[in-house]
Amino acid sequence: MAQTNPVAPAPAMAATNVLAATNATAVATNIPAAKVATEISSDAADFDLNTRLAVYRGNVTVIDPQVKMTCERLVVDLPAAGAHLSHVVAETNVVIDFTDEKGQNYHVTSAKAVYDYQVEGSVTNETVTFTGSPKVETAQSTIESEPMIWDRTRNKFQFISPRMTSHEGLEKMTGTNNPSLKLF
Amino acid sequence: MKRRATNLVLPAVAAIFLAAAFSERAQQNPLGHATDFTSESYFEPPHEQQVKMRLSGADASPLPGGLMDVKRLRIEMFTVDGRPQLIVLAPQCTYSPLDGMASSSGKLQLQTGDGKFRVEGEGFLWRQGDSSLTISNHVHTVIDLPALQPPK
Repeated sequence: MAQTNPVAPAPAMAATNVLAATNATAVATNIPAAKVATEISSDAADFDLNTRLAVYRGNVTVIDPQVKMTCERLVVDLPAAGAHLSHVVAETNVVIDFTDEKGQNYHVTSAKAVYDYQVEGSVTNETVTFTGSPKVETAQSTIESEPMIWDRTRNKFQFISPRMTSHEGLEKMTGTNNPSLKLF
Repeated sequence: MKRRATNLVLPAVAAIFLAAAFSERAQQNPLGHATDFTSESYFEPPHEQQVKMRLSGADASPLPGGLMDVKRLRIEMFTVDGRPQLIVLAPQCTYSPLDGMASSSGKLQLQTGDGKFRVEGEGFLWRQGDSSLTISNHVHTVIDLPALQPPK
């Protein structure tokens, strides 16, 4: 999966009952753009060099500086020279783990995840759409939503008719400092 | 059109005769081999003069069945304007000129022309006809990506 700016704001969950537009201007920083490396490991892979498609099979692991992902099949549209990775599909037992800058751990599972990256003018869209019983777990709560969208540009999750299970007591659920309660 | 046909046929014919010559020579002289061979294919019109793919090897020795044992295999793919698009390297492989397939249980490296997409693995099958590559073991890919650009 592609990389967002490492100093982007910590992911904050934000629920919507209607899919919001994911267009967002890239997060402003004072740090110049830098290269980051994403690594993919798998048992086997097929590359179609005419259609520029790579299919990784078996025990697929994707690691970038922010995210670790595992799945059984990963289809990558190979970018043209100088271009950004634009479309990746992960299938079967998709598991994503990452930690935000505040130290909050996120554990996401689903049957399928689709990564899309687009730049239109000065607007960057970078999303991961989870389908197939997606679920995101934090220390505070577990949220299920079909589909579930992770807007990586704004570092926010978007849910449709989400179902949340709190891992803490009801009194804590009403506290204003509990980030998971800002979902609704 | 005539030029393209010639360009496509000549390497193939050369490869066939080369393989046949190797087979015959192999029976007489097991040490017979060739060096620095190249096979090229071209784009469809109107870019029929541009090389689409070049397969080359530093050393080729005949094997039974018209196959060749190729050392230092190099496969290059180019864009229509001649820029390198992809490079595949393998220290050794078995190449079949008749069906355009190269395979090996050994290591393989692949990288895009700009070097931002790099793959390593062990055991591969290259099908020249449809420009496809299967790596069967221990595939490891590194992709260099730019971090998000700040808004202007």
